[in-house]
Amino acid sequence: MSLTTGIELVIDGLARGLSFALLGAAITLVFGLGNVLNLALGTFAVIAVVVAVTVAGAIGSVAVGALTGLIVVATLGLVVDRTLLSSVYRSEGEERIVLGIFVTLGLAIALDGLMYVYVPLTYSLAHGVPGVELAGIGVRGSTVLTFAVAIPVLTGLFGFLDRTRLGTATRTVVHNETGALLCGVNPRRIRTIIFVVSLVLAGIAGLLRAASSDVTVSAGFELTVFAIIVAIVGGVRDLRGTVLAGFGLGLVITAANFVVGAYLANVLLFAVAVAVLIARPEEIS
Amino acid sequence: MIPRADATQIAALALVLLPLPLIVTAGGATYQLRIVALFLVFATLTVALNIVFAHTDQLFLFFGALAGIGTYTTALIAEAVGISAWATLPLGALAAGALGAAVSYVAARRGMTVIVLAILTLALQLAALEFFVGARDITGGSTGFPFDGLSVAPIADLAGVDERVAFAYVLIAVLLASLVGYARLRDSRWGAAFDAVRQDPVAAEAAGIDVIRTKVFAGALGASIVGAVGPLYAQSEGYVLPSMFEFQAVDVLVLVMLVLGGSRTLLGPVVGAGAIVLLDEFLGEIGQWRTAALGVLLVVLFLYFRQGIVPKVQDRYDAYRSANDGPDTAADG
Repeated sequence: MSLTTGIELVIDGLARGLSFALLGAAITLVFGLGNVLNLALGTFAVIAVVVAVTVAGAIGSVAVGALTGLIVVATLGLVVDRTLLSSVYRSEGEERIVLGIFVTLGLAIALDGLMYVYVPLTYSLAHGVPGVELAGIGVRGSTVLTFAVAIPVLTGLFGFLDRTRLGTATRTVVHNETGALLCGVNPRRIRTIIFVVSLVLAGIAGLLRAASSDVTVSAGFELTVFAIIVAIVGGVRDLRGTVLAGFGLGLVITAANFVVGAYLANVLLFAVAVAVLIARPEEIS
Repeated sequence: MIPRADATQIAALALVLLPLPLIVTAGGATYQLRIVALFLVFATLTVALNIVFAHTDQLFLFFGALAGIGTYTTALIAEAVGISAWATLPLGALAAGALGAAVSYVAARRGMTVIVLAILTLALQLAALEFFVGARDITGGSTGFPFDGLSVAPIADLAGVDERVAFAYVLIAVLLASLVGYARLRDSRWGAAFDAVRQDPVAAEAAGIDVIRTKVFAGALGASIVGAVGPLYAQSEGYVLPSMFEFQAVDVLVLVMLVLGGSRTLLGPVVGAGAIVLLDEFLGEIGQWRTAALGVLLVVLFLYFRQGIVPKVQDRYDAYRSANDGPDTAADG
């Protein structure tokens, strides 16, 4: 393997890591706040892609299409939070965790089922960002786009959590729900906002994926699984850890894809998840 | 021995099931027979999930992988050694059982909560499926291979019935045997240990119950049933395909069947499996809605109908009886 190939792999790995970080963060935020493991996350990412591609095709602007996709997903998120998740939040403790898994799993299957009927094609975004070549190192346009979009989004997310009142309130609820309540923070309202934010993050990750490869309905579950693995490896309540884990896994998977092929690389990813769960089971409970 | 009420229920079920293969093939229809076989296979899988998940709170989300491991082990060893798949079927069950036991042991040892075990087994499920599809040299990849190793043709010829009908009776026998085994288990010391461990592991431990051993026993038992049913499923379908063992194709269905029928009941798994297979057939007219309907059902069941059909019917029946029998029996209802 030449040095150029190595550098190209690292750049690809970092781009994939950024996508992973967005997905993992979406899981971590919602689980940390309300103990709901959102198994429908990837499905919403696919919805964003389908809407974006359809709208972009109709009016000719990819940017407007992408924005519409994210708005649709945010609206759906609000509806899901107010209806299904309200029922889930009514129960407590382990009961809520189990209920959350099944309700979001059922939601994912139902939405996937609908999409298999109505939008069974492959979808990709013709973003038009040109590839870059520097000193013999080629970087694809979609990779450039990923860096250009995901870095500001992640920075913005951390800025929101660290610097704004709402962000502080969010972190308070994660740390101590009762304490937050006593300080006049309404956990339910924060959960709604963060759930919508998490779906927008996943939508962005989905759109970035559609910029580099074809997306089908079945990609939804795959994205969910990646997101969960990243969140687990990073520590499901630890946003910084999750983002770091995203980068780490992105690099590892890209390298493994190159060296041992796609299927063993995926097996490796699952093996990492299993190993982390065995090593630190108390992390996620 | 099994409790009298359980014996009556199993006997009644047997009376319903035994004529079924003959009735559906009376007009020569093999399609209906395939549906019956599917129902019997999934009913038995649901009995296994009832033991593992409902009784000992271990949420196994890798039934597809376990069935696949049982099937590939059985089929591939039979072919490599050149012996009947009936001889290697126990090996398939053993392989799946060993994995189930190992997972249960690690989970209990490491104090995993329901959700951690669920994610762990889901990761194993997906890894196993990657392997079934990816290891083309061993498994034949996504196109799979035809499978007829568990044929009962010689016996069917002797009895003068169609081979597929005869195989349906094998499936009925397996389901009834699993129910008898379940009834005995529930009535034994293991059953008592299951209840204690599920309700309060700490108190169970204090009462002298080996919590880890109890969970490993349930995990191994459930997994080996799944490992044995997998090859039977492949035989009734006529081929081995990775897609038969997908999470959405096995685990989701079995979970819905268990919750719909009623957890920790004898006939719940059978009723749930029957209801879902029938619903599926009914939706066959509008087949494309199948997946969506299943998802909606999963949500509705878990939010509003956690109790299940069998306990609900039982409650109604008990209420009806006590209303008719006067105040004496009503008191303990």
